[in-house]
Amino acid sequence: MKTDEVIIRVGGAAGDGGQSAGLIIAKAFSRSGLHANTYNYYQSIIRGGQSWYQIRASDRKVRSQGDDVNVMIALNRDSLERHTSNTINEGGASPLGKEGLVIYDQSISDFRKGDCRYCALPLSEIAARHGKNALMKNTVAIGAAMAAIGISFDVLASVIRDQFGSKGSAAEENVKAAKEGYDHYLQNFKKLDVALKTSDRKFYLISGGESLALGAVNAGLKMYVAYPMTPASSALHYLAEHEKDFNIFVKIPEDEISAVNMAIGANYAGVRAMTGSSGGGFSLMVEALGMSGMMEIPLVIYESQRAGPSTGLPTKTEQGDLNLVIGASQGDFPRIVLAPRNVEDAFYCTREAFNLAEKYQVPVIVMSDLYVAEHYETVENFDLNFKIERGKIAQPGSGNYRRYEYTSDGISFRGLPGTAGLTHNEDSDEHNEYGDVVSDAVTDPTLRVESMKKRMKKLDGYIREMPPTPTYRYDDAEIAIVQWGGTQGVVEEAVDALREKGIRAGLVEINRVYPLNPDIGKLLHGKKQIIVVENNYSGQMNRLLRSEFLVKTDLVTKFDGESFYPGALTEEIETIIKR
Amino acid sequence: MVTIADYKGKVKPDWCPGCGNFAQLSAISAALVDMGIEPKDSVVVSGIGCSSNLPEFINLYGFHGLHGRSLPVASAIKWANSKLTVLAYGGDGDGFFEGTQHFYHTAKRNVDITYIVSDNQVFGLTTGQASPTSQLGMKTKSTPEGNIEKPLNPLTIALTAGATFVARAFSGDALNLREVIKKGIAHKGFSFIDVFSPCVTYNKINTYDFFRQRVYKPVTDTKDFDRAYKLAQEWGDKIPIGVLYDVDEKTYEDYDPVISSVPLIDQPPIKLTAEALAEFL
Repeated sequence: MKTDEVIIRVGGAAGDGGQSAGLIIAKAFSRSGLHANTYNYYQSIIRGGQSWYQIRASDRKVRSQGDDVNVMIALNRDSLERHTSNTINEGGASPLGKEGLVIYDQSISDFRKGDCRYCALPLSEIAARHGKNALMKNTVAIGAAMAAIGISFDVLASVIRDQFGSKGSAAEENVKAAKEGYDHYLQNFKKLDVALKTSDRKFYLISGGESLALGAVNAGLKMYVAYPMTPASSALHYLAEHEKDFNIFVKIPEDEISAVNMAIGANYAGVRAMTGSSGGGFSLMVEALGMSGMMEIPLVIYESQRAGPSTGLPTKTEQGDLNLVIGASQGDFPRIVLAPRNVEDAFYCTREAFNLAEKYQVPVIVMSDLYVAEHYETVENFDLNFKIERGKIAQPGSGNYRRYEYTSDGISFRGLPGTAGLTHNEDSDEHNEYGDVVSDAVTDPTLRVESMKKRMKKLDGYIREMPPTPTYRYDDAEIAIVQWGGTQGVVEEAVDALREKGIRAGLVEINRVYPLNPDIGKLLHGKKQIIVVENNYSGQMNRLLRSEFLVKTDLVTKFDGESFYPGALTEEIETIIKR
Repeated sequence: MVTIADYKGKVKPDWCPGCGNFAQLSAISAALVDMGIEPKDSVVVSGIGCSSNLPEFINLYGFHGLHGRSLPVASAIKWANSKLTVLAYGGDGDGFFEGTQHFYHTAKRNVDITYIVSDNQVFGLTTGQASPTSQLGMKTKSTPEGNIEKPLNPLTIALTAGATFVARAFSGDALNLREVIKKGIAHKGFSFIDVFSPCVTYNKINTYDFFRQRVYKPVTDTKDFDRAYKLAQEWGDKIPIGVLYDVDEKTYEDYDPVISSVPLIDQPPIKLTAEALAEFL
């Protein structure tokens, strides 16, 4: 096992506090100057069931949840049994290995023993000595786990104080409980054989949803209207909580149709607005998406994928909405689709989305997925310097204003309501340069062609200004691996593992998924083999790449609702290469 | 000073001769002029249908959007820039079929906009099908044997939902129509005005004569909810028009901490600093 990284898993039923415990652990790592990455395995249930939370930490950037668990905190009998035997198969997660240790309450005795180090502690007993809340046994277990891997107790205490600070005496009760768990472990058990390189480095521990919301704030977001839907809600919650700090109007309307029409209305009036949902809610926004395209009203939509179809697996990840998002709404109109590769990228993609939407006066969709939205990663720094570019907005005029004036780049000046001399009509019907409808009394085929060309032309400018597609270890690569969106970290790990095996693999990372950057064609042509990795059933990006660049590809998919795991993914890619 | 000429659109309305929408176009323009509101400060958001073409025929900021969706767009425009006078406009199919949920919830929110429905009790633009306000038994293209669904009552819905201004008017009474619209715009909060607007092509039952014989203007206490609710249900030989309900309540904008004092559009974006990120350390 690697001694400079550690993986901890907290298992229990929903309502047992596993997620809160996991977050305290992750924060203790980030405050120890370590990188951390978390993974939440949970169900659409408030109480009961079986869920777990995994935290991986190292001094190096941690790019996925990883494979080999070192420490298991079992909050109930069920999780103790599941995670210490080979029966667990929750989307490729491996059980606790031989050298791993499991921390649990000593009152649990009736379970089948697996092959690992069992550390039974009087968790509940210790907790009861310090306070009335039974869930405090989790804090005792966290204390024990931190002792086992050698994290300073002071760091843990600072995290606990912040976590429970607003809850009266709870903070000090929990600190004392954790300390007793910490000491109890050291007195009774052997430390784990890891040497984490802690440091003074400062990291932000943040989820993709929060990072995305901050990106929007950095871009001058003024209104967020969204109907709640997992996994888009983490952004909604963050923005609602900070409504007054950031002066952002946050609203839940009656449905997603209303939400998207509101976002369009606000943008029309000159205020940066965004809506967000998962695939189900986005499906309801489809008609309005086309209106934004037709009326050339800037719009940013956050689409956070979860496993579909229909209600699907509400708490599970998937990249199954690409066809939906790039094909949504009738007719041809320009749209831009971005897909952040990780938590940090969510910040930059989203703030860029606002400038693109106003510059090109098109809908921009930021596609994330449950994995990106809900897991936490450490981010060393956010570059907060950002130039807000509002695009072409007309100054007061003196009549004869043409809202949809034909220009060389297809972009015309927006006339915001309240501005003198620019009154006009914006129409979801086909219209001329003034906005006058051309579909009712007299349809003008020539004008229709001009209008279509005017709108579609805007994408030419966008394609010209696209930054080069990011790659990883690609310069000398013989085999091209392609990923898009939130699978970046785990696929990079797989590339590293393949390189270690002597396979010259390199990675193309697509975060601007539509329109695709033409440079991808150049990157792919001439490679010995092209392997596309996607978290869906049919290979939606694979099909897009084939049609855009006429390349022959192989495909690796995963559609069990879970993210890829680096070990299994490496094996699968290797099998395809050797086939 | 603003005059009626300022509101005159450059595109001539293409409604059927005799359509009730003409009177509403004139009344809306005249009401805005009477109130001294300039075209640059007025927005009309419409849905899809014959009446919803209105923004094309009037000089102001027009937004001709999607079927049934005028209210969310209009609400957000008001929230973005509360200095604007915002009207939503459309037909009964637009508002009470596809737009029902928005109608109910916008009334409940008491957003300070005015919603005028050109209620002709039939689908016009799609050439004559039964609408949500079509009368029982009415024969249309979609109900050749007669409509078997009861018409819904937009006024009682608005009242139940919590609208703070509920009125009814008639395109055949232009003066009253103009006064009611003026009062609706002047009202702070959600104003709902249902306008009888005879469709001379597809509705041979609810004609100008039908309404002329029935409408009357009751003298009523517009603060009395129960009385308004009773009047709203009158349908038969006598049908009341005019303002039925008009009360002062705080609007959505008054309650919202972000927009209650300064319009959103006049608030510069905040500068995101490292302090804001401290909670993630």
